[in-house]
Amino acid sequence: MERKKPELRRSVTPWGSFSWGYSDVGADIFVGLGLVLGAAAGASNVAFLFAGIVYVCIGLAYTELAATYPVAGGGQYFVLRGLGDIFGFIAGWAVLLDFTIDISLFTWTCVDYLSQLAPGLSSSVHPWMHFIVCALLIVGLCGLNVIGIRESTAFNGVVSALDICSETAILTLGFLFAFDPHLLVHTMQVSWPSSDMFMKGISLAIVSFVGLESISQAAQETQRPASIIPRTSIALILTILIFALSYSNLALGMHTWHAIPHDAHGHAQMLWQWLGNDDNNGKAVALLAAQIPYFGALAAFYVPVLGAILLLISSNSGVFGSSRIAYAMSSGGLLPSIFQKVHAKFRTPVVSLVTFSAVALLELIFAAIPTLDRGAAQIYAHWFNGEGGLDFLADLYAFGAATSYSFVFIALVALRLFDPLSPRKFKIPFNIPVTVRGERAHFPLVAVVGFVGIFAILLFTLKTHIIGRIAGPSWLLLGIVIYLVYRWQHKLPLFASKKRNWRKEQVDILRNAGELELMDEYLANLKASDARKVATAETPA
Amino acid sequence: MIGLRFVLAVLLIAMGIVVFVRVASVGLTPAILPGLILGAAIVALGVHRMSLIIRAWRSVR
Repeated sequence: MERKKPELRRSVTPWGSFSWGYSDVGADIFVGLGLVLGAAAGASNVAFLFAGIVYVCIGLAYTELAATYPVAGGGQYFVLRGLGDIFGFIAGWAVLLDFTIDISLFTWTCVDYLSQLAPGLSSSVHPWMHFIVCALLIVGLCGLNVIGIRESTAFNGVVSALDICSETAILTLGFLFAFDPHLLVHTMQVSWPSSDMFMKGISLAIVSFVGLESISQAAQETQRPASIIPRTSIALILTILIFALSYSNLALGMHTWHAIPHDAHGHAQMLWQWLGNDDNNGKAVALLAAQIPYFGALAAFYVPVLGAILLLISSNSGVFGSSRIAYAMSSGGLLPSIFQKVHAKFRTPVVSLVTFSAVALLELIFAAIPTLDRGAAQIYAHWFNGEGGLDFLADLYAFGAATSYSFVFIALVALRLFDPLSPRKFKIPFNIPVTVRGERAHFPLVAVVGFVGIFAILLFTLKTHIIGRIAGPSWLLLGIVIYLVYRWQHKLPLFASKKRNWRKEQVDILRNAGELELMDEYLANLKASDARKVATAETPA
Repeated sequence: MIGLRFVLAVLLIAMGIVVFVRVASVGLTPAILPGLILGAAIVALGVHRMSLIIRAWRSVR
C-alpha cells in the first residue's frame, strides 16, 4: 500500500500568519537602522524610502505567488517553477546564504542589544566574550532545532504584539514630543553623503526588509492561504515600511532628551552620527528609544531585552529556514540527498541543520576576526577598507537578498505569462493584457519596477561592498559547482530541467491547502483551455 | 474587540494625517518626500485595517 507523504498541519490563524512574518522581518530594523545611518548619513531616510519602495514590490510579488502556490519552498520554489531547475537552484542557494547570514548577523546584534544592559558583552570592550556568547547561541539554537524544539506560533504572537506596541509607543511619542521637521530638513541638507556612501546606504537599507520568505513558509501552514495571506501580507508590508521610514526620519530630525556624548576626538556629534558609529550601530534602536523624553527612561531598560528576544527568534528562523530550504532543494533533485537525512530519534533534518549552522559559525568567525586579532584587523584594513564584522555580515545579507529577489521578479513574470490558468485570488495591480500561446495573460508592470530597483541594489552592493563583491559571487560559484557535479553524477540534465507534471502538482497544492473552490476553478480553466486547443487544431487552415 | 480595532484604525489614519501635515508645513523641498510618504503609508495602513473591519462587520450582520 502506498504511504501518504506527511504534510504540515494547517493551523496558523491570520494573526499567527502576520506574527510569523513580523517576528522575522520586524527584527530587521534593529539591525539595519545603525548600519544605514552610518553609511547614508543625512540621506538615510531617502535610502530607506528607495529600499522600501522596492520592498513593497517584493512583498506584493511574494503575496501573489504565495497565495497562488501556497508551498513552503518560497522564492526557490517560485523560481524553479517559473524559470527551471538551475535558476531555482541559484535562487535557493542565495536564499540559503541569507538564512545562514541571518543566523550569525541576528545573533551578533542580539548580543549587541544585550550589551546595552550588560556592558561586559560589548564587542568593542570585550570582543572575545561577545564572540563566545554569539557562538554558544548558534550552537544552542542548532541543538534545539535538532531536538525539534521551535518557538511556538503563540510565543511569536506575544513577542510580535509586545514589539508592535513598543515601537508604536516609541515612534508616536517621538513624533509628538521630540520630532522637528525643520531639524530633519536641516540635517538632510548639511549631512548629505557622497554618492558612493548613498549607494552603500541603499544596499544596506534592504537589510531592513529581508525575510519575506516567511510569507510563503506561513502559507504552507495557514488555513485557506489564498484568502488569508494577502490580508496579512499587506498589513505586514505597510507596518514594516512605516517603522523603517519612521525610525530613519526620527533619527535625523529629533531633539534628544539627553546630550549626545562627544566622539573619540572630542567633537560634538549629531544623533545620527552617534547611532551610526561602530560602537553603537548594533543597538541603534535601543539608544534612539532611550532619547525619547520621559518614556526613554523606561525604554532604556526594556527595548534592549525585547529587541534581543526578537532578534533571537529571527536567528532561530534562520536555523530552521535554512534546513527546510536545503531539505526542499534536496527533495527536488537540486542538492545531494544527504540533506534529506533525518535524525533517527528526533525526526529532524539533522545534516542540513548542522551543515548550515556550521556555515553560520564560519561566517561569524570571519566577521569577528578583525576585533579578536590585530594581525587580522590589519589584513582587513589593507584589503577590505577596514570593514568591520557587522559590515561583513550585512554585505553578504544584502547580496543574497538582492540576488534571490531579482530572480523572483523574473519568475513572477514567467509564471504570469506561462501559467495563466492557475487562479490568482490576489493579483498585483497595474498589468498589461497580453496573449501567450493562445491564452490571455497579464504582464505585471510592478514586477518590472521591482526588478529594476532590486537589480540596482545588487549593483550598488557589488560596487560599494568590498567583501560582499568577493564573498557573495564566490558563494554562488561554489553552489553552482556542487549543483553541476551532483547532477552529472546522478545523470540528471545539467542545464535543462527535470520533467515535472505541474498541472497535477497544482491540483494537489490547492487540494492540500483546502482551497477547493480554486481547485475547481483551476480544473475548469484547464478543461476550457484543452477544449480551445482541440478546436484550434481541428479548424482547417 | 472589533470596536477597539476600529478606534485604532481611526487613530492610525489621524496620526498619518498629522505626520503628513507637519512635514508638509516645512515648505516645498525634496527633503520632505520621505516624510510625506511615511504619512501616506500610515494612512494607507489605517484604511486597509478599516476596510477589513468593515468587511468583518458586514459578514457578522
